[in-house]
Amino acid sequence: MTELAVARGALDRGRLLRLAQQYGVYAGVAALLLFNFAFTPHFASAENFRTQAVQVAPVLIVALGMALAIGTEGVDLSVGSVMALATSLLSLYLGYGPWVAALVAVVGGVLVGLANGALVAFVGVQPIVATLALMVAARGLALVLLPQLKDVRDPGMSALGSGDVLGVPYLVLIAAALALLVAFVVRRSTFGRQLLAIGDSRPAARLAGLPVRRVLIVVYVCSGALAAVAGVLATARLTASDPTSLGTLMELSAITAVVVGGTPLSGGRVRIGGTVAGAVLIQLLTTTLVKHDLPPSWTQMAQAVVIVAAVYAARERGKR
Amino acid sequence: MKPTSLRARAAARTLLATGLVTGLALITGCAKSEDSAATTDKASAEQGDSGQVVASPSASGPTCAIDAYGGDKTDLKSATVGFSQSEKEANPFRIAETASIKEEAAKRGVKLLTANAQSQFSKQISDVQDLIAKGADLLVIAPLNSDGWEPVLRTAAAKHIPIVTVDRKINATACKDYVSFIGSDFVAQGRRAADRMIEATGGTGEIAILLGAAGNNVTTERTKGFEDRLKEKAPDLKVVFRQTGEFAREKGQSVTENLIQSKPGIKGIYAENDEMGLGAVNALKGAGKKPGDVKIVTIDGTRNAVQGIVDGWIDGVIESNPRFGPLAFQTLDAFTRGDAVAQDIVIEDSAYTSANAESDLGKAY
Amino acid sequence: MLSVTGVSKIFPGVRALSDVDFTARAGQVHALVGENGAGKSTLIKVLTGVHPPDAGEVRHDGRPVRFTTPLQAQQAGISTIYQEVNLVPLMSVARNLFLGREPRGRLGLIDFRRMRREADEALRALGIRVDVRRPLRELGVGAQQMVALARAVAVDARVVVMDEPTSSLEPREVHTLFEVIRLLRDRGVAVVYVSHRMDELYEICDAVTVLRDGRVVHTGPLAGLDRLRLVSLMLGRDIGEVRGEGLTKFTGSHHAAAEPVLNAEGLTVRHQLHEVSLSIRPGEVVGLGGLLGSGRSETARAVAGALPTDAGRVSVGGVPVRGGSPPAAIRAGISLLPEDRKAEGIVPGLSVRENIALAALPALSRFGLVDDARIDRIVDTFVRRLRIKTAGPHQKVGELSGGNQQKVLLARWLAVHPKVLLLDEPTRGIDVGAKAEVQALIDELAEDGLAVLLISSDTEELIEGSDRVVVLKDGRVVDELTGDAVTEDALLRAVAAVPAGGRDD
Repeated sequence: MTELAVARGALDRGRLLRLAQQYGVYAGVAALLLFNFAFTPHFASAENFRTQAVQVAPVLIVALGMALAIGTEGVDLSVGSVMALATSLLSLYLGYGPWVAALVAVVGGVLVGLANGALVAFVGVQPIVATLALMVAARGLALVLLPQLKDVRDPGMSALGSGDVLGVPYLVLIAAALALLVAFVVRRSTFGRQLLAIGDSRPAARLAGLPVRRVLIVVYVCSGALAAVAGVLATARLTASDPTSLGTLMELSAITAVVVGGTPLSGGRVRIGGTVAGAVLIQLLTTTLVKHDLPPSWTQMAQAVVIVAAVYAARERGKR
Repeated sequence: MKPTSLRARAAARTLLATGLVTGLALITGCAKSEDSAATTDKASAEQGDSGQVVASPSASGPTCAIDAYGGDKTDLKSATVGFSQSEKEANPFRIAETASIKEEAAKRGVKLLTANAQSQFSKQISDVQDLIAKGADLLVIAPLNSDGWEPVLRTAAAKHIPIVTVDRKINATACKDYVSFIGSDFVAQGRRAADRMIEATGGTGEIAILLGAAGNNVTTERTKGFEDRLKEKAPDLKVVFRQTGEFAREKGQSVTENLIQSKPGIKGIYAENDEMGLGAVNALKGAGKKPGDVKIVTIDGTRNAVQGIVDGWIDGVIESNPRFGPLAFQTLDAFTRGDAVAQDIVIEDSAYTSANAESDLGKAY
Repeated sequence: MLSVTGVSKIFPGVRALSDVDFTARAGQVHALVGENGAGKSTLIKVLTGVHPPDAGEVRHDGRPVRFTTPLQAQQAGISTIYQEVNLVPLMSVARNLFLGREPRGRLGLIDFRRMRREADEALRALGIRVDVRRPLRELGVGAQQMVALARAVAVDARVVVMDEPTSSLEPREVHTLFEVIRLLRDRGVAVVYVSHRMDELYEICDAVTVLRDGRVVHTGPLAGLDRLRLVSLMLGRDIGEVRGEGLTKFTGSHHAAAEPVLNAEGLTVRHQLHEVSLSIRPGEVVGLGGLLGSGRSETARAVAGALPTDAGRVSVGGVPVRGGSPPAAIRAGISLLPEDRKAEGIVPGLSVRENIALAALPALSRFGLVDDARIDRIVDTFVRRLRIKTAGPHQKVGELSGGNQQKVLLARWLAVHPKVLLLDEPTRGIDVGAKAEVQALIDELAEDGLAVLLISSDTEELIEGSDRVVVLKDGRVVDELTGDAVTEDALLRAVAAVPAGGRDD
């Protein structure tokens, strides 16, 4: 009798934790939505959802790249600086038209990613150190190129920032498309499988003949390019290039979204759906507190609580 | 292991170098920004006529003369002045401040040494010590923090070097540790912004405040002045929303977007700096509002914000004048000649409204 | 001394122990045996405070105790040497030996000089000579294990639990280990000894407890218990069945074709290998003999491109293979089953399916996208052919038993259709049943025409499994046994024949 009860207790606890790990972030999003529907005036409007989606788009795009880097047991701290570099390049090259400028900005992100990847894959520098170096360097370069905020008056850019298709803003469409693309790559491509294997056990992946270096470089290039895209979109939304403040602390927001979404920092797993939900969760949390006019320090504390909860769930799972 | 890792390292180095070189060549070689006619020249050409004016006459407060401070009379022209800037010149305020000091030094023919602490307080301390070691006879400091200046003040006192602090005060004894403080009265700026808001909204309705960065004295003082004045003059004007925009345009924009959805009836927004105000303008535009639907009052007086008044989106901008050059050198000149100078020199900040925005656009920085 | 009664432990989905009684007496070496998954490791973890039992009681010195952390167990005088060495790889040998009880000098600082001296003495007493200032990870696995043992001895333990201590030791080191165990026994220490090796059990142990499926199936003195009876208790099979199958699953020699498919010439790696040459014909199993650190694993790794060489060439079927690159070696048809299965073999967080498909991915994809249908077919084939016991292809490999993990790795390599298979300790740490299956499989693969290189510290396995044995010592080929000369006796003589260099690292 007792043994049976004990057995079921242990089973339920384990199951519960696994469920919390896998679906906790979705439950969190649902709970916040319900709370807001009930207690926040004017929340259930299309306009509001549009605003939330637009605001979350850049963080989400950066978090996608971050999820890949974290999946290889790495991290990319340079994403915020890449956004700043992208906005500087965009502003510098806008004379050629928005497409060329956006392309140059993304190429800038790719180059930073290439440098990150080369440092990690060939020189063997730890990702946190390598990307920290590029974080400082890219921000510095961005400020050399464009020392202060500059308005962007290009009509194409402002259309990108505030235009929509059938009521869905371009920003949201782009973010959704990128999320689907990254999810597809992780699930279905050989690159995705190899990335996970490398993140889980680098020596095993090497001995299994996987192109470890190539995969690592591609991961950081993707992360850099995605951050640059986020930088371009944020610039379009702001209709100004502001390399001094654009992307500051973005790396932390992105890491938070990824971790809250259930991707372990120890690598070997990438959850794109969870990452999207993680970014949305943080956005909703901030919004809820802002809409109820609670002090900003509350937002930070609430974020801390969410992160601790996510890490706790991850730890419990890691123990088995 | 060795040969491959060496090869790998060489490859990585080549890769990095090529990347950097091609990158820089590309960037500098064929950049073509949106409007090639740079606005910076225009700004510096026009800024001469907008130096600061003292608000409080020097007789009203305690003064300081060289006998009380210690040291000898000198001629400013033959002296070396050291200027320590706190933050990197990446925002209009700091750019205008440093430019103004440099320009005034050039005008007076004074040798000027400059240093920038890049927002690191420890660097500012060593910057100032460097300036003293390099032979600065007089110091102008834009402090990053108010506290922690003891080591520098001791060194300066030993050499009887007069110090003038600009835009922020330090916690020390005036006329003993330093000569004078020249700066704006942030509380007064808040009060004047409140006056402007009351006038624009008619004194009733609900308004919001976009706070500056938390834990910053500028934020607390601009908030205090504004709220005290509202309580005193327009109790019907209710502040229903207080959120930080961290002095940045993007944050100001996203906070305002949430604000206008959850409180559609908002009548006015008080932004504690221009950047957040401009972010609020972006948010209003995005929400399909018309200029003037929501009254915006901001503080600082940057060119973009004043242009916002001209365009009809912003109702008033309270100036916080960064051009400390003329007043700082005037103070140092008088002091070194042996005259008494005021310990607290509060400057007169002007304001921009729809009446003068267009004509005074050139004065904005 | 240390006993448990009626202990049960349940993990989600698994009943690891049910109603187990076990007693370790002072001055006695008690063997704990059973197949993998029988509950040995769990029982040890309950004894040493890693897992609290869900039911039952642990008694120490006659008093009921409840260890909630390994530290508490250690303080009570219970030391454990785990299967995987659990020390701090980056710290020096001396620091590891004194971890948590460093000799303090004045001011409470660590007295490094005294620590090194005492560490050196402690290791010397066990017949190990290493530079105690070196980081632990630079030592071989065997030497690391001896450090772990030295640590257990040094803390004046009253109960010492050893989980497969000999799995990475050389015969000479095993001898030293047994000396130490006898020393401990004579001092009145209770020793709990877990091993898969029958010879060792009969040599050193006084009593035995057999676990099967989380239950005690036999406990009593070891003397008088027939070997085959013991094996049948562990497997839960009849004696006749076991006897009929013999002790290893190898069948005689193979008919080898004339031309070697693998040719390695003059492989040299500074400090590790000197001009090692060997060749393997299709259908032939070549054993690599020698002591720990003689360069067996290094040879296999050099051939597979996992260890960059300073000189030497490798060719497969006459075509040279670019060195220092595992992908190049794999493309040429060389596959390596690495020694350290957990760290270098399996990808624990990925499923059985992903692990099997890992190396063959480029061949199983089109335009960079994986072809799931083909993967499913291949995985299905191998799971059935190798009899991999799994809850399903989507179970994580980390959750499988050692033997099944090894089978998954074999499947991974067979999926790329190699010409040469390098097996480094293929049966280490896996249970008797799986061991037999893996041995039979090696035989079968050689029959199919694969060239196999076999490395094993189990001499019996090496001799019975190999058609030819190349003997290494200090990174050089010193002898080659062929035909009838492939005997345990000849191997030992070949190893012993060369004047000892005196270095064992």
